[in-house]
Amino acid sequence: MAYKVLLAPLDPVHDIGLKMINKGLTERGITTHILPPDLPMEEIIRIALEQDFGTLLISRTLGYNVAELLARFIDLLDAAGIREKMRIGIGGMAISPELAAELGFDAGFGPGTTVEEAVAFVEGREYHPEDSLIKKEKKDITAGYSYIYKNEKIASLLEQISTQIIGWAADKTSPGVERAILREELWDYQAFLKGEKNERFIEKYIQHCEQLPREYYTSGILHPKTRELTEREREEYARYIASVKGRMKTPTLQHGRKFPVVWNQYGTGCPLMDITHIKASEAWGADGVVHFDPSWGARMEGFMEGDLTHAEDGTVITPQNLLRIKNSLEHETLWQVRAHRGLNTPETVVLAGKIGADMTKINICYGSLAAGTDPARLTVDGFHAMKYAVKYQMPFDVVTNEELAGVPAYKAFAGMLIVADLAVRLGAKPVLQPLFAYSPEVMISGQMRDNYVDFNAAKIMCLRGIVDAPIWAGAPIAFLTQTEDRVQSSVATSVHAMLAASLGIDAISIASSDEAYSGGAISVPSKIDTLRGVAETFRFLGQAGIQPTEDAAHWSAEITRGIEQVLTEVAAKGDFVQALFDGLLGSRDDGVYPGRAGKSSVRSID
Amino acid sequence: MMTAVLNKIVDALDFETFFICANEEEAKSMALQLVKELGFEHGSIVFLQQSGPGARVRVRIYAHNPGDQYGWMEKREGEH
Repeated sequence: MAYKVLLAPLDPVHDIGLKMINKGLTERGITTHILPPDLPMEEIIRIALEQDFGTLLISRTLGYNVAELLARFIDLLDAAGIREKMRIGIGGMAISPELAAELGFDAGFGPGTTVEEAVAFVEGREYHPEDSLIKKEKKDITAGYSYIYKNEKIASLLEQISTQIIGWAADKTSPGVERAILREELWDYQAFLKGEKNERFIEKYIQHCEQLPREYYTSGILHPKTRELTEREREEYARYIASVKGRMKTPTLQHGRKFPVVWNQYGTGCPLMDITHIKASEAWGADGVVHFDPSWGARMEGFMEGDLTHAEDGTVITPQNLLRIKNSLEHETLWQVRAHRGLNTPETVVLAGKIGADMTKINICYGSLAAGTDPARLTVDGFHAMKYAVKYQMPFDVVTNEELAGVPAYKAFAGMLIVADLAVRLGAKPVLQPLFAYSPEVMISGQMRDNYVDFNAAKIMCLRGIVDAPIWAGAPIAFLTQTEDRVQSSVATSVHAMLAASLGIDAISIASSDEAYSGGAISVPSKIDTLRGVAETFRFLGQAGIQPTEDAAHWSAEITRGIEQVLTEVAAKGDFVQALFDGLLGSRDDGVYPGRAGKSSVRSID
Repeated sequence: MMTAVLNKIVDALDFETFFICANEEEAKSMALQLVKELGFEHGSIVFLQQSGPGARVRVRIYAHNPGDQYGWMEKREGEH
């Protein structure tokens, strides 16, 4: 069917919107005739009568006297008999659909109207905005990476260190490893889904737990900061989530780019509040969400069960909590359950794997130097956790947040590369996670005195020069640059996201604009603040880029030399665990201390 | 004070304004007084910056904290 459209701006100057619609129509093969601005109404009507137009599209930007002006135009159209001959639509900044209907136009297009919407009107069909959306899909940030080294010296040193770790850890176990084996072998996920009790599992499991979880299973005593969700809460939640899921749409943030994948963290303490945060994050474009558990959970031998809500930050890991959260996610949302820092590392990986997480998080160095776990214990647990990550096909990031405690980047990176190399040898897919923020090292040394671009870029250049591996900037990006001013905080996060996009990084973790506010729980609007900000900077950048100065290459080479030096020392020691205790990968002077949780709990396998 | 609308607030009600005042202390005092005058018992200052003519301030009142009974999850008559 052929359509012939007359487009006329009823405005002294503005006609850009009409020009865009004209372009959209002509691209669809529709014949159009567009008039210049500032023509008298009578002239527009004369032209409309001259040819056989099917549609007349009018635009009006200026709001002053708009209702009177349009009413007069309608009167003239009536007098000329045009309204019976063609469909008439009006759009522009001054127009609302209500005003258009009141005046008798066939359609009104207000601010935000898409070209596709106007085309649908011309073609006489209903407009379905979802038809023009790109279907969002889960992205694999490890796809296409070879993990081949480009720096042979570092490759050789890492091989020596990994070989030593594998030889040391392979015949050792711990209560954490034993629980993971039980969770893997005796905890039947299908039976759990059916609500069946697993007495055999619990009987053996509690033998490897400390007092608190043991008391939970034997006497029903809960951790003092937790409570069970009530029956009423569970019922209300079921109705609530069904209603929310029915109206979910998940936009993409990346403007024409595939990456970076944008993650944000939840962990309010309450799984129901978390899910509300997650649904808002998804609705405003987050690609993935990260489960944040309480710090006491990482220092406790064993997990509890049940629908538990926690009175402080961090949502308790229980099978029920994880399952509820997993079931709330849209199918395209990536889900990470962190296992990087505590006494439940391998079991967390098993649980997350069985319940269906896409990724986990493991780092022996960060967990033992900056998060309180004994280095020997976490080396054994990390080693086994990686093997489970392979089994459940979960890539994991190797976070380097020991930098936030004061460890310089080159030492944190050396530790990250050791863990990543070990992981690859075990068949896993690690993701390098450099800190993309304002670290204590640069506060003291001044690498960010002029800008936040060069040193962050230097880190990425350094890692890319060493190995072909995925990079996830964290965690969160812009950390310590954000203040309690939500505009400043959102902009700080957003421009770091833009830099990450410019550098071609695979993923980023973003904070809310409440990141620097410590007076209460993070709010949903604060999460939306940064998602909106990031979307806008991605839109701003497109396929363009940010050019770092020469300092970036200089610092990249400096970090690489530092990594080589540290790895040489660790390899020479011939004992990775002792190297952690001796501070080679971060010392007391740097601000980190080998952890004590789980001390003396490693034993050789009989 | 928990009205039907406040019950629909997922977590926090923030309000932001600019007070004409001489210093941060004065702004802080006015912000907290405003919380009371609006009928709330507790509010906290998320951000406050004094410069020149006055202070830009953002105040937060939590309608629901994690672990509360959430009013927005309850179904009301006539709701879908």
